[in-house]
Amino acid sequence: MPALLEIRGLSAGLQGRRSVTQVVSNVDLDVHAGEILGIVGESGCGKSTLATAIMRLLVPPQVLQSGSMTLRPGDGKAYDLLDLPENELRQLRWRHLSYIPQGSMNSLNPVLRVGRQMTDTLIQHGLSQDEAQERSIAALELVNLEPRLTDSYPHELSGGMRQRVIIASAVSMRPALIVADELTTALDVVTQRQILQELAGIRDELGATILIITHDMGVVAQIADRVAVMYAGKIAELGRVNGLFEAPLHPYSQGLIGSIPRGGGQRVQGLPGEAPSPWNYPNGCRFHPRCPHVFAPCSEQAPALLSPGNGRWTACHLYDPEVASNE
Amino acid sequence: MTPDSSSRAAESSEDEKTAGRHEVFLYVLRRFGVYLFTLWAAITVAFFIFRLVPGDPMNILLGNLARAEGRQRDAAAEEAIIARYRHIFGMDEPLPLQYINYLRKAVLSGLDLGPSFVEYPAQTKDLVFRRMPWTIGIFTTSVLLAWIVGTGLGALIGWLQRSRLSKLAVVISTLLQITPVYLVALGLIIYVGYTWRILPAGGPYARHLQPEWSWEFISSLLTHAILPMLSNIIVIGAGFTLGMRALMISVLGEDYLTFARAKGLSPFTVLKDYAFRNALIPQVTALAIIVGATLNGTFIIEVLFQLPGLGTLFVQAMGLRDFNTMQAVVLFSIFAVLTLTLIVDLALPLLDPRIRRTA
Ligand SMILES: Nc1ncnc2c1ncn2[C@@H]1O[C@H](COP(=O)(O)OP(=O)(O)O)[C@@H](O)[C@H]1O
Ligand code: SF4
Ligand SMILES: [Mg+2]
Repeated sequence: MPALLEIRGLSAGLQGRRSVTQVVSNVDLDVHAGEILGIVGESGCGKSTLATAIMRLLVPPQVLQSGSMTLRPGDGKAYDLLDLPENELRQLRWRHLSYIPQGSMNSLNPVLRVGRQMTDTLIQHGLSQDEAQERSIAALELVNLEPRLTDSYPHELSGGMRQRVIIASAVSMRPALIVADELTTALDVVTQRQILQELAGIRDELGATILIITHDMGVVAQIADRVAVMYAGKIAELGRVNGLFEAPLHPYSQGLIGSIPRGGGQRVQGLPGEAPSPWNYPNGCRFHPRCPHVFAPCSEQAPALLSPGNGRWTACHLYDPEVASNE
Repeated sequence: MTPDSSSRAAESSEDEKTAGRHEVFLYVLRRFGVYLFTLWAAITVAFFIFRLVPGDPMNILLGNLARAEGRQRDAAAEEAIIARYRHIFGMDEPLPLQYINYLRKAVLSGLDLGPSFVEYPAQTKDLVFRRMPWTIGIFTTSVLLAWIVGTGLGALIGWLQRSRLSKLAVVISTLLQITPVYLVALGLIIYVGYTWRILPAGGPYARHLQPEWSWEFISSLLTHAILPMLSNIIVIGAGFTLGMRALMISVLGEDYLTFARAKGLSPFTVLKDYAFRNALIPQVTALAIIVGATLNGTFIIEVLFQLPGLGTLFVQAMGLRDFNTMQAVVLFSIFAVLTLTLIVDLALPLLDPRIRRTA
């Protein structure tokens, strides 16, 4: 069965005066129907750029450089997202593809009541006023919010409530795919946990597929089925959460998982150095200046994302039989 | 989330709503207090400024008046007349007492601002009231039109910020905005009024007419008002256009705009309900601020177009050193500006549900 969302060779960057600085490089990713796929990586590694590229919401100086994306939302059609004219894209949004942006705290219009901000979208997508009202209230109940909240203005709500309203809006058209960027970052731990539970519940109830983007390994561990580890604009490793957390392949994943605080808040094993910004991505393997296993080809040749078997993928020369045997 | 904690969350929002209403009331009260205080401060400053001018200009003026009345050469008699006038104008008392009397009369005796020195015994209040409709008419109409046009235009060129036409509009608005209003007025008078003779460019209405409720008079009045108002609209409107454009561009970068686009709303809805409505709030505040800064431009326009408004009254009074009248004009202007600002500020909570927080 073909993937719900198929991303191939996606590159996006920042337009400078003379040239484009690549932020996200050559991403290949399949999102399967019904799964929760986490994309995890340090802040600045290009996660939000990838998310906005998928949503086709890049704004200058951000530019799409190359690649293709196909969405098969289950209506028998395949949409080439990057080739879709603006008006068809508008119809596809929310109906098939929803977005919970980073900065959800400020994603509600301060001068419109919450209910209006949900129904205007539903009406835009063809529902009647009454249907829109009903759907909005049903969606709010999915995230444990009271129907009368529709009369509130965003500033009257707490951060967690605002985040829930955004989620409710995003699921109100029962889209096939929801892209959620740093969903719970600004919230306290308890609210975070509740909201993630609600989101998982929504997946089970509506059969939605969720792409959850976060810098927090804990979030991935709590709700994702599979995870893609991103480093410096590239996917370093991809696999099922269980397998990857138990035995990470890529030295960067090993470092990341090692640095999850375990009991007593002590970090087992940190990563030395800092993640590079797009203006100074290293040549070869972008992780090589920080890698404890670095060897000769690492600084010259970029490793390809290859599978050593059982559904796992990693981009590291250690696992590439050809490179390793040449050594 | 347990049902218990969800109802608690809703409760706290209910509390906040009541608190919000309470705070709106406080906001109105506080705003009105500021209004009264500013008014008082302005009256006080105006009073002392005209009396603390060195060399006692009153003395000169009163000397003139006395001479005009009595034609005496006798110094003692002249002194007596001056003393009499000083008494009439309440100037024989110490300054603090004068000030208190002045305030008392202004507040308690129905805006009694004293007689005009020159047109004695005419009351300055009456002089001001006679001229006021011209100034108010031209000023409020042109500022409001400028605001409406500027807000619409600015919203549009901000929304289309990357288009070529939009960039051209910015250049033109910037040029117009930095042009002094009298240059624009003179340009209109010279070209539109005299060279091309499209519209009348002087006087309140055609010379052969009398004020009456006739179509001929009213149409003459309106055509004579076009150029003076246009001068104001061009300059002030350009400022409002640039201001609104900047506000739109900053709103377009907000997270809620990205979200609005992500939801698949039509560009028109995004523009109207998400971008424009948010940019409008600070633009209304800008109206309140700009009202004060543009009144002097209107005074200049009145003089250039020979309209019998407060601006021309002020210039006449200045020529004749009629300090009571000048003071009355200044007071009236301050009163008008502060009141307009108050109205705009009180309208803000209607537009902005967050005002209870920011106030
Ligand atoms: N609009 C922009 N202007 C300037 N730099 C940007 C912009 N968008 C992204 N970047 C840069 O691109 C890199 C990746 O950003 P982002 O995709 O937001 O990372 P993440 O979401 O993983 O934290 C960062 O170095 C960031 O500074
Ligand atoms: S390719 Fe080399 S540098 Fe990169 S992660 Fe693997 S071993 Fe480390
Ligand atoms: Mg981000």
